[in-house]
Amino acid sequence: MSIELLVQALLNGFGLAMVYVLVALGLTLIFSILEIINFAHGEFYMLGGYVTYYLYALFGVNYFATLVLAILTVGIAGVVAERLIFHDLRGRALNAFIVSLGLLWVMQAGAQLAFGVLDKPVPSAFSGVVRGLGVVISVERLVVSLSAIVLIVALYLFLRVSRPGRAMRAVAQDPDAAALQGVNIDVVSALGFGVGCALAGGAGGLLAPLFAVSPAMGALPVVKAFIIIIIGGMGSLPGAVLGGLLLGGVEGLGALFMGSAAVNILGFVMVIVVLLVRPRGLVGGA
Amino acid sequence: MRIRASIATIVMVALVAAAVTATRGAAEDKTLTIGVLGPLSGGAASYGVELVRGAEMRADEINKAGGLKVGNDVYHIKLVSYDHKALAADAATAANKLVFQDKVKFIIGNAVGATCNAVQTVTEPEKVLFSFVCWGTSNLGPDKPYSFRAMLSQWEVAEPFYRWVKDKHPAVKRVALISPNDTSGKDTNTAVVKALKGLGFEVAADEYYERGTKDFYPILTKMLATKPDMLDVAAAPAGEGGLILKQARELGFKGAKGWTAGTNPFTIIGVAGKDAAEGVWSPTNINVKSDFVSATVRRFGEEYEKRYKEVPGVIAVANYAAFDVITKAMQDARSLETDKVLTALTQKPFDTVWGKLVLGGKDTYGIDRQFLYPMVISEIRDGKVVDIAQVLPAALKK
Amino acid sequence: MERSAVAPAAGVALIALGAAALPLVTRDSYYLDVATTILMNLTLTMSFRLQVSTGQINMAHISFMGIGAYASALLVTRAGLSFWATLWIGALVAALLAVPIGSVALRVSGPYYFLITFAFSEVVRLFFNNFFEGLFGGPSGLVGIPKPGRLLGLVFDGKLALYGLMAVLCVVVVLALVRLDCSRFGLTAGAIRQADLVAETLGVNVFRYKLTTFVLGSFVAGLAGVFFAHYRQVLHSSDFGLEPMVLLVVFTVIGGTGSVWGPVVGTILMTIASELLRELHHYEILVFGAVLILTMLFAPEGLVALPGAARRLLRRVRARTTAPAGAGLAP
Repeated sequence: MSIELLVQALLNGFGLAMVYVLVALGLTLIFSILEIINFAHGEFYMLGGYVTYYLYALFGVNYFATLVLAILTVGIAGVVAERLIFHDLRGRALNAFIVSLGLLWVMQAGAQLAFGVLDKPVPSAFSGVVRGLGVVISVERLVVSLSAIVLIVALYLFLRVSRPGRAMRAVAQDPDAAALQGVNIDVVSALGFGVGCALAGGAGGLLAPLFAVSPAMGALPVVKAFIIIIIGGMGSLPGAVLGGLLLGGVEGLGALFMGSAAVNILGFVMVIVVLLVRPRGLVGGA
Repeated sequence: MRIRASIATIVMVALVAAAVTATRGAAEDKTLTIGVLGPLSGGAASYGVELVRGAEMRADEINKAGGLKVGNDVYHIKLVSYDHKALAADAATAANKLVFQDKVKFIIGNAVGATCNAVQTVTEPEKVLFSFVCWGTSNLGPDKPYSFRAMLSQWEVAEPFYRWVKDKHPAVKRVALISPNDTSGKDTNTAVVKALKGLGFEVAADEYYERGTKDFYPILTKMLATKPDMLDVAAAPAGEGGLILKQARELGFKGAKGWTAGTNPFTIIGVAGKDAAEGVWSPTNINVKSDFVSATVRRFGEEYEKRYKEVPGVIAVANYAAFDVITKAMQDARSLETDKVLTALTQKPFDTVWGKLVLGGKDTYGIDRQFLYPMVISEIRDGKVVDIAQVLPAALKK
Repeated sequence: MERSAVAPAAGVALIALGAAALPLVTRDSYYLDVATTILMNLTLTMSFRLQVSTGQINMAHISFMGIGAYASALLVTRAGLSFWATLWIGALVAALLAVPIGSVALRVSGPYYFLITFAFSEVVRLFFNNFFEGLFGGPSGLVGIPKPGRLLGLVFDGKLALYGLMAVLCVVVVLALVRLDCSRFGLTAGAIRQADLVAETLGVNVFRYKLTTFVLGSFVAGLAGVFFAHYRQVLHSSDFGLEPMVLLVVFTVIGGTGSVWGPVVGTILMTIASELLRELHHYEILVFGAVLILTMLFAPEGLVALPGAARRLLRRVRARTTAPAGAGLAP
C-alpha cells in the first residue's frame, strides 16, 4: 500500500465533503431554529439539482448564474413549505417527522411524474484533471469543493454579521428571550427554513454536473448529513465542517480496506460511539 | 346535529364502497386482465416503469388491432399494475391482490430479486404464469414451473461475451468488475467471475457498492490500483454505470470497458460523456435507433419515445417482447389456461423484436424457462451504439 | 396522557370480535392477507407505542422483528425445530439482544435516542444483508421457509388458518399491553414521558422502566417477526429496514400516541387507505404522502383524539350561542 494510494484515498474522501457539509448545515439550521428534523431535506437537494438541469443543461444558462438561481428557487420553496406546513409544528418533533415524511413522498413522486424516471445527465462545466505528487483530482470537483467552501463562509458571515442572521441565532439559543427582544419568531422561522433548504438546493446544484439528476437522488446525501451533524454536534457550524471531514476521511480510507457495506456500517458505528461518548457532538454544545 | 352527521357519514361510506366495488366488479365478458408488478417509486423506479411501459405498448397495439383472438373468442386486454416499492412483503400483498382480487392468471413483468421470490410464493401454488426480469438463480427451477425469465441473464451472457473478448481482444488479461450490492449485482458478479476463471482471465477486482452511491472515487482508487486491463460495470444501472466510467477516466483509467448487464445505452452515454463511454462493449444493450436493428424495433423506439418522452431501455423492450410471446402462445394454445399456454411456449421458437426466441436453460436451471434469443455484442463509438457481433444461444443454433 | 374513554375490556373484546367476524364476511385470499398484515402490524405498533409512552421513539423496533424472524427461520430450516417452539425462542432471542442494545441506547434520550436507535437499525439491516450470506441469504434473501407445522391435529397451511393464528397472537398481545397501560405501570410510564426528572424525584427507577418497556416491546416484535417469516416464507433485509419502520411510526402517530387505542385506529385505517391507494398505480405514493400531511395538520393529536376534540369544539360552540350577550364568561 503506497503512500500515494493513501493520500489519494484521503483526497477522495475530502474532495466532496464540503458539499455534504452544506446539506448538513441546512438540516442543522432548521433543527436549531424550529426544533424539528426535516426528513424531506433531501428532496430540496433534489429540487436544486433539477433546477440546474433545466436551466443549465437544457437552456444553457451560465453555470454560476444557474447555481444562484437554484439556491434562490429552492429557498423560496422552503419558505412556502414552512408557511404552509411546518410553522405550527415548532418543537413537535414527532408530528414534524410524519409531515416531513409525507412531504418527502409527495416531492419524490411528484418529481418522478414531472421529470421522468431516468437519470438525466448535466454537462460538466469544467473539464480536465489536476495531477500532482502522484494523486489526481478533477477540475470539476475542485471547483465544486471551493464553491461549497465559499457558501459555507458566506453562511457563517450571514449568521454572525447580518441582522436576520443574528436574529436566527437568537431564536436558536432561546426563542422566548428572543421574542422578548422584539424578534418576530414567525419571520425568523420562515427565513430559517428557507435558508436551510436553499443550502440543500445549492448542494444539489453543485453536484448535478458530477452525478446527474434523478428523482431519488436526495436519499443518500441526507443520511450523510445526519451522520455529519451527529458527529459534529447539532447546531454547530464548525462542528458540521469537522464532522464532514471526519466522515469523508473515514469513508475514503475505509474503501481501500473493506467492502462498501462495511464502510457504511462504519459510518453508523461512528454515530453510535459519538452519541455514547459525547452526545452533544465533538464540537457541539451551542 | 350529531345524528345528522352520523347519517351523512354512513351515506358517504356507502357511496365510496359502492364506487369501489363498482369499478372493480365491472369486468366485461371478454376482458383479459394481465398484471404487471415492479418498483414504480424510489431508486429502482426506472425498472418498474419500463416494465409497465413495455407491456402497455404491446397491449395497446393488440387492442387497437381489434383485440386478442384466442380460439373463437376475442379479448380486450386490460393491464393492472401495482407498485411494490422494491419491498418483498409489499410485493407479496400486491401479488395477492392481483391473483385473488383482479383474478389475474398472467403476471408479465417484475424486477428486483427478493420481490420475485415473494411473488412466487403466491403465483406458483395458484398456477399463475409469472414472467420477470429478476436475475436471481433461485427464481427459476423445476419446483417453479410457472415462472420464467424474459431477459437473458448473466448465466446466459457472461461466458459467450467473455469468450468473444478473449477471441477478439487477446491483450485483455486482467478484468475488474463492480456491481451494486443486491441480488442482480451478486448474481452478475458470480456469473462473470465463473466465466472469467473458466476462460483463463485473471480477476483483478470483484467489488460491490451500495445502490444510490454516486461518488466512486474511493472504490475506484482501490480497483484501479490492481492495474486491470478491462473495467466491467457489470450490473450497474445506466446512471451509476455512467458515473463509474466517467470517474474512472478522470482517475486515469485508459483500458477496455464492458457493461455485461447493460440496459439503457443512451443514459450511460449521457452520464459518462462521449469520451468515457467510448469503446464500451455490452452483450445486452439495445439501441432502438441503431442501423442494425429491424424496422419493427426502430418503430417501437419511435412510438415509445413519442408517448413517454424518454428513450426505451432493454427492460422495456424485453417486457414488450414477453407480452408479445405470451399472447402468441395463448393463441397457439387456443386457450387461456396457464398449463396449456406453458406447453405452447415451450414447443417452438417465436418471432419477436429480438429475432428468433425460444425457451431454454435446462442445463442451468433444471427446466426450460429462460427466454433465449440472439445476443448482440455492441460497442459504443463516438456516442453511438454499433452492433459488432451476434452470438446465438446453443438452443437456437439448429 | 389521555385516559381512554373506552373501558379496556370492551376495547379488546371489540378487536377480538372484529377479528373473529371477518372470516364470516369474506374468505377472499387477498382480504385475508390484508387482514393478517393489519393484525401483525397491530402487534408491532402496540408494542412500539408502549415504548413511546415512556418517551422512547425506538427506530430499531423493526430490527427486533428481523432478529426473531431470522432466528426462527434458521432454527426451523437448519436445526429442524418446530415453529411452535421457535415462536417463543425467536421472541426470546430478540428480547435477550434487546437488553444490551437497549442499555446502550438508553444512555441518551430525546432526539439522540431516536438517532442512535436509527443507527443501530441500519447496522442490523446491513449485517443481515451482507454478512454470513450462507446463513441469512445475503442480498438475495432467504427462501424456502416452511409454514407452521401441525399443532394438536390442526393444520396451518391455508390463509384462513394462518389468519386465525395471527388473530389469536394479536388479541393476546393487545390484552396484555392494554392491561399494562391501565395498571400502575402505565401511569408511571406516562409520568416518565411527561418529565423524567419529576418521576425520578418521586422514587421511580426511570432507567429500569424504560429498559423493561424496550425489552418487552422487542419480545413482541420478535414474536411478530417469527410469524412473518413463516407466513411470507421469504425473508429479505429490506423487510426490516427504514421503510417498514417508518410506516410503523406513521401508523402509531397518526392513530395517536396519547392513547393505547391510537395504534389500533391508525394501523387499521392507514393500512386500508394504503391498500385502496394501490388502485392509483403510480400516483400511490404521491397521494399517500399528501394524506399524511393533511391528517397531521388536521389531527395533530392523532385520529383517536378527534372525537374528544370534536366534542370540545361542540361544547364551545354551544356555549357561545347560548350565553347571554355581555355575560362575559369564557366557555
